[in-house]
Amino acid sequence: MEGIFAIWQRDLTKFFRDRARLIGSFSMPILFLLIFGGGMSGSMETMMAGNMPDGAESFNYVEFVFPGIVAMTLLMTSIFSAMSVIEDKDFGYMKEILVSPISRVSIAIGKMLGAATIATIQGILLFFLIPFLGISYSIMALIQVIPFMFLLGCALSGLGLLFASVIRSTQGFQLTVQILVMPMIFLSGALFPVSNMPAWMDVIVKINPVTYGVDVMKKLMIEVDNIPAAVSEAMGLNITVLGREVTMFAEVLFIAGFAAVLVLFATFSFQRANA
Amino acid sequence: MDPVISVKDLTKKYKQTEAVKAINFEVEEGEIFGFLGPNGAGKSTTINMICTMLKPTSGSIMINGYDAKKEKDKVRASIGIIFQENTLDEKLTANENLMLHCRFYGVPKDKRQERIGEVLEIVDLVDERKQRVETFSGGMKRRLEIARGLLHYPKVLFLDEPTVGLDPQTRAHLWEYILKLKEKAGITMFLTTHYLDEAEISDRVAIMDQGEIIALDSPTSLKDQLGGDMIELSTEDNDQALREIEEKVEGADVSVEGDTIHLKVESSDAFISSFIKTLEIPITRLNIRKPTLNDVFLAFTGRKIGDAKE
Repeated sequence: MEGIFAIWQRDLTKFFRDRARLIGSFSMPILFLLIFGGGMSGSMETMMAGNMPDGAESFNYVEFVFPGIVAMTLLMTSIFSAMSVIEDKDFGYMKEILVSPISRVSIAIGKMLGAATIATIQGILLFFLIPFLGISYSIMALIQVIPFMFLLGCALSGLGLLFASVIRSTQGFQLTVQILVMPMIFLSGALFPVSNMPAWMDVIVKINPVTYGVDVMKKLMIEVDNIPAAVSEAMGLNITVLGREVTMFAEVLFIAGFAAVLVLFATFSFQRANA
Repeated sequence: MDPVISVKDLTKKYKQTEAVKAINFEVEEGEIFGFLGPNGAGKSTTINMICTMLKPTSGSIMINGYDAKKEKDKVRASIGIIFQENTLDEKLTANENLMLHCRFYGVPKDKRQERIGEVLEIVDLVDERKQRVETFSGGMKRRLEIARGLLHYPKVLFLDEPTVGLDPQTRAHLWEYILKLKEKAGITMFLTTHYLDEAEISDRVAIMDQGEIIALDSPTSLKDQLGGDMIELSTEDNDQALREIEEKVEGADVSVEGDTIHLKVESSDAFISSFIKTLEIPITRLNIRKPTLNDVFLAFTGRKIGDAKE
């Protein structure tokens, strides 16, 4: 336990000390909020209004896209924080960790929790933009979504750890992640509804773990029960896999399982590592 | 007393090569054990296996009574390692680095501050405790790493090229600290170094070459095995001098390196005065010395330690 906590705390201390990283990691979500929230909301809402004569006035695109952008921030921050494993190897510190008696599973969990915590903090910081975007969520909804953000952060950090164990250089990591992260965001329903996609793309949407993360985020933040079924349908909030509608409980379970499997992978890679 | 490190038939095979070939040795408690060899001799592979960082192909390693293959955690807790390269977190302070180490090694909470103070005292870094490591000089970083390696009171401290990349003055200082440590803590040290003069402080030295241990003894006995003194001389015409030496000195052990002739004799005192008289070629430079570990190394491996294998 002590080992997990030590590894977690180290990554956090380093995060708060690195001002450039703190500020830099904000630029992307703000850019997306500006472009998608500000620039696209008009046309998206007109498009929606064309699709459904009734209830269209209750569709607010910014409200729809905000949880998606928070999820996107979680994805990027988690994965890039997992890159600390590669940095630790490059700067030699990983040796200090690996020759110590800490169990390998503690190293994996410590690294995962560290990255997930950093990601969750970044996500929560985005909440402070809500008043300036002309949208509102209930305080309860925001409080409820935070534990889930952390869970999603764990799963996505696990993904980052998996990449970090395969890719040896930071440059390679950044390139690979950029190639993978963008489709994961675009095909997750974070920025636009992913209903009515071509079949092959639909398959990618359904196997993309971010899809379920984004969906839970949206269900928790946007009070789904209060919006007309047609709007909910158009926003792509009713995901079906093999003809069955996916419940939120199943989605949370899937993400938790995803995190657990990845922590095992990471443990295995630390076991084999010779630093 | 049981040896603190006991290595039996340790072998590491890679696809093409056999890096370590069934080596055997023991390290006694409290001794400084020097581990020498040219680049590519298999030193690092051996150390990595002893430190549980690399899986041996076959053979056994016991450290502090624990099996390095099966009881990795106990072995890891029993050893401290100072790696060749810097493994400090430079973004953190000295104190933070040491505190993390305490937590990794499960040093009891109430003992941590006290122990950190204690090890910083040994390496003279008490005043720098709250500074970030990135502001430290190379020598200070090394000292901090040594302090860190001692925090959990290891049975054996591994020092892998501890002075590499440091200036001669800092190197000399560092050795003072290491010797002080031996006196104070009576800790067993396993040392590798490229600077053979530094290995002289070892109680025993193992020389490794091409995956095998080719010599293992105290530095004094190893030097005695070479026998006699080394005479180094340069003359106006070395080729002529060589012919003369071979003619006049019976069973001469001569070698040439650059413009220097090396001559090994049993006792230089009796030999030298008559030798100088017999040599017709004028001598331009003459040096008589006792053999060093460098000579031992040269004699055993046929090359100097700096010459890479490849």
